[in-house]
Amino acid sequence: MIEYLSSLPGAVSLGAIWGLMAIGVYLTYKILDIPDLTVDGSFATGGIVAAVLITSGVNFFLAILIAFLVGMLCGLVTGLLHTLLGIPAILAGILTQLALWSVNLKIASGRANISIGVREFDVIFSQTNIPDTLWKMGIVLLVIIVLLYVFFGTELGASIRATGNNPKMSKAQGINTKMNIVLGLMISNGIVALAGALLAQYQGFADINMGRGAIVIGLCAVVIGGALFSKIAKNFAVRLLTVAVGGVIYYFVFQTVIFLGLDTDMLKMLSAIVVAIFLGIPYIRRTYWVRFKKWRDNRKLLKEAK
Amino acid sequence: MLELKNISKTFNEGTPLENKVIKNLNLKINEGDFITVIGGNGAGKSTMLNIISGAIEADRGLVLLNGYDISRLSENKRAPYFGRVFQDPMMGTASDMTILENLTLAYGRGRTRSPFRWSTKAKDKKFFIEQLASLDLGLENRLNDKVGLLSGGQRQALTLLMATIRKESSIASFKKIHGKILSGYDNELYIKTLDSFVKIKEEYKNKKKEIRHNKSLSLSEKKEAFINAYNEYVSKMNVADPTRQILLLDEHTAALDPKTASKVLEITDKIVKENHLTTIMITHNMKDALKYGNRLIMMSKGHVAVDVSGEEKAKLEVNDLLELFSKASKDDYLSDAAILGD
Repeated sequence: MIEYLSSLPGAVSLGAIWGLMAIGVYLTYKILDIPDLTVDGSFATGGIVAAVLITSGVNFFLAILIAFLVGMLCGLVTGLLHTLLGIPAILAGILTQLALWSVNLKIASGRANISIGVREFDVIFSQTNIPDTLWKMGIVLLVIIVLLYVFFGTELGASIRATGNNPKMSKAQGINTKMNIVLGLMISNGIVALAGALLAQYQGFADINMGRGAIVIGLCAVVIGGALFSKIAKNFAVRLLTVAVGGVIYYFVFQTVIFLGLDTDMLKMLSAIVVAIFLGIPYIRRTYWVRFKKWRDNRKLLKEAK
Repeated sequence: MLELKNISKTFNEGTPLENKVIKNLNLKINEGDFITVIGGNGAGKSTMLNIISGAIEADRGLVLLNGYDISRLSENKRAPYFGRVFQDPMMGTASDMTILENLTLAYGRGRTRSPFRWSTKAKDKKFFIEQLASLDLGLENRLNDKVGLLSGGQRQALTLLMATIRKESSIASFKKIHGKILSGYDNELYIKTLDSFVKIKEEYKNKKKEIRHNKSLSLSEKKEAFINAYNEYVSKMNVADPTRQILLLDEHTAALDPKTASKVLEITDKIVKENHLTTIMITHNMKDALKYGNRLIMMSKGHVAVDVSGEEKAKLEVNDLLELFSKASKDDYLSDAAILGD
């Protein structure tokens, strides 16, 4: 039990980092209405870029910034594949993700993982000092959420929201929807890569496989945040915060099921099931549940008629 | 003002589903025309509108706006010249955004969307409230409601408003939107317009200065005066602009119940008259086609079969229309009459 309790602060900080990544997923999945699978690649790219830079002596702040920019570049590739070549968004994301695997290997000079020793290198935070990680992560989330809130309140940001909401109307209102989709994908992947850079420093290494399943974890956080707080969170900034909180809850649940003795090999399966359930609930409510209620009401009416 | 020349459009060319929707269509639309378009299913009405707005590109032919060919401009680049309302009430507005945000999006049509300016500004708000109040649907108190909460009729009325408001206040945007088209066609008009714009702007600046130095006004009164001066300035700029937009209505009342439909049509007529808008309205209702507008076009098999305007149109009745139509297209008289008959 004590072991479990002592693992919770770590779960919170990990959850916050993945929550930041989930904010990136939220931007494409909810705002642009595009499920972007690039994130599995760009998350690892962010981590590896940061690791390579930090181990070669670059300041960690600069390394994070560059990781962000490289992430935007990944989004740009997916965006151009989608808008210029007309490849469906999901497929465009998969293509970029696949290509990024090779790119990541090249950036890492052929190594599958790069360790960033806390004692040797200066990093933003590390799992050896969790309280320090927690407040720094809080500030990072706050800054990103405020920046996004401001951006999506501007003319350009509002036009991006309109693009995701109703592309036909957006075109009729003179909005360049293709450019907006590319821009949205760039911002989203920039944030995802930034989260990757933070995770690499937190866990002390970057791995070319660290992004595998990132989209599912991101979606998990988005749907958990949405399901639990949709009634309270009307404001855009609050909604972004609930996505990050969704990430924290996700890791809380994970820590708990591990404590309860679940085989850790089954974790990815578990997250896939959670996402499937949450994504399926609205459909079930719309169809089966409504049909069930009708059947129940009709039975009542029949009884009364008799 | 707008001219269609030898437009042709075939869908699914070279396949068994080949469908020649528009065949050598020629149409000249004059400034201030309110055209109602009728015709059977598949006559090419919507396709014509989509070719004008750029949603569909024609296979052949020119779309001339003030003499300048816009047929190769993309849909969003043409948006400043055309206000559009679609048949589906869901199509014309962003349902997850508020009424205020939707209006703001429409207001910025044809301008660069800057990442350094707030999308909603206090000085535009008053203008929006006035405009919404003129619809008489109670929307003026619901600025911050999501559009998804509105009824179909309310959404169509809002879309109509969005299609007709457009910020015209900056000289730079006028140059950007109209400079190329107007200066190539009528350079004198272009220069004259720019001159009057400069004059109006000067006036506005002086008025602002006056308000600022007026010591008898309190702070809130000053704010009020600023907003009034701004709105006056915007409306003056709008009146001074010779290339005002064209309204394209694609059966915008077809999805509404009869009572709401007639209300939306009344609003349409009012907005068109007040703003002296050039309008093309597709309708499936012959009575509406006769009641509204000063010109009536009947389409059949991808070309204009009947084109009446002015007094001649005012005298027409539903029976005359059916007769005209049977003359124009003998083959599909029965089917079209069945569809068009009320």
